[in-house]
Amino acid sequence: MAPVRLPRVGVLLPLLRLWPWVLVLLALVAVRLSKGAPFSDAYGLLSRPFWPGSAQQEWLSAAGRLGDQARLEQLERENRRLRGLLDLPAAQGRRLQAAVISREPGGWWQQLLLGKGSLQGVGEGDAVVAPGGLIGLVASTTPTTSTVRLLSDPRSRVGVWVGRSRHHGLLSGLGTGRPLLRFLEKDPDVRPGDVIFTSPASTLVPPNLPVGVIQRIDADADPAPEALVQLSAPADAVDWVQVLLP
Amino acid sequence: MALLSRQPWLVATGLLVPLLTLASPGWLKLAGVPPAWAVLWLLPWALSAGKRAGSGAGLGLGLLLDGIHPGPASLVPGLVLLGWWWGRMGRKAPLIQRSFSLGLLALLGTALLNLSLMLQWALLSWREAAAVLGGVERLAGGAEALRQAGPQAALLALPLWRWQDLSTVGLQVLLAQTLLTALLAPMLCSLQLLFWRQLAAGWRGSAV
Repeated sequence: MAPVRLPRVGVLLPLLRLWPWVLVLLALVAVRLSKGAPFSDAYGLLSRPFWPGSAQQEWLSAAGRLGDQARLEQLERENRRLRGLLDLPAAQGRRLQAAVISREPGGWWQQLLLGKGSLQGVGEGDAVVAPGGLIGLVASTTPTTSTVRLLSDPRSRVGVWVGRSRHHGLLSGLGTGRPLLRFLEKDPDVRPGDVIFTSPASTLVPPNLPVGVIQRIDADADPAPEALVQLSAPADAVDWVQVLLP
Repeated sequence: MALLSRQPWLVATGLLVPLLTLASPGWLKLAGVPPAWAVLWLLPWALSAGKRAGSGAGLGLGLLLDGIHPGPASLVPGLVLLGWWWGRMGRKAPLIQRSFSLGLLALLGTALLNLSLMLQWALLSWREAAAVLGGVERLAGGAEALRQAGPQAALLALPLWRWQDLSTVGLQVLLAQTLLTALLAPMLCSLQLLFWRQLAAGWRGSAV
């Protein structure tokens, strides 16, 4: 049997000279397998100073808000038209801006005093909204001022419903910042985080105004489940409100 | 006559009380509850002017404050009672001029004023609940099912302080207001007491 002949060193030399190219090839394969991650990361790092700034973000947000506003107006128009077809009372009429000139968010009387009164058309029972939603109803008026009973006042009672499950309940102030929602059914199908709105069945307040978010539920309460509601409008911080005139 | 000489000041300072109640700054509140400005004004006045003037001022002030707080409960009974009580105590002037005594009187007065409100809310709640239950009883007649199903929703809808709220939040309001008023009273009431007494002394001096 003839002995195996190893290749001569002279034949292997060109291959040894090629090792840098082999490394490059392996690197390229790695880049391909990682889907260009090192390049993308390096590009992100180098181009960071030139990324779109907060101003552009603001423009985009403003454009988004404008779009939402237009959509909301369109939906409200459609809602008014449909309510008119069904002979239901109008969702809301004119809105009157009013400054908060005194506030008592705690104590025996939880109320706001507004700088607009009966001369401007404000009447007892008118709903008052702030950024975020409903904060209370007008309890009394003078010619130039009006007193708003806050939803947190223990004398406040407002009919509401849960937006998701459409179950009705009665929102009662407790004297604290979070009123109590007492459901009228045994199984209201609610969970924390559900948003509540004024009830379309209520004759006291315009329908579907946002009120707050359910925070905690006591399913064992008697005679029906109860829930604590975090109000969406901060009554103790708001400086301007809107009175919904009928 | 001394009362007459002090009338302009009485009216001017008395009108400040509802204004202060409306404009009570947020930093001067404890748990969102402002001090009882009516107590801080009535205490020195009643101590210097006597029981009749004290209870009269309490009546006037109560009517003013009821005007800015619409609702069935009234501050009048509490303030009239306090004015009369502090007016009677005015005779023992040297004993109650001390700051600690003024603070203690303000503390007791605020607690009494809040208790008078709690009592009114409790009575109103009891009366309204009884009326609702009576109405349901009449409607239900002999039907047991109706009697069982009816009262709850009607009772829940009553726009009043319920007993559960009074015993929890009501108590917190009472404690917060009492503490805050008692802390402010030694400073504010002693200055006012000095003012009313100097005014009375000035009138007597000019009369002699």
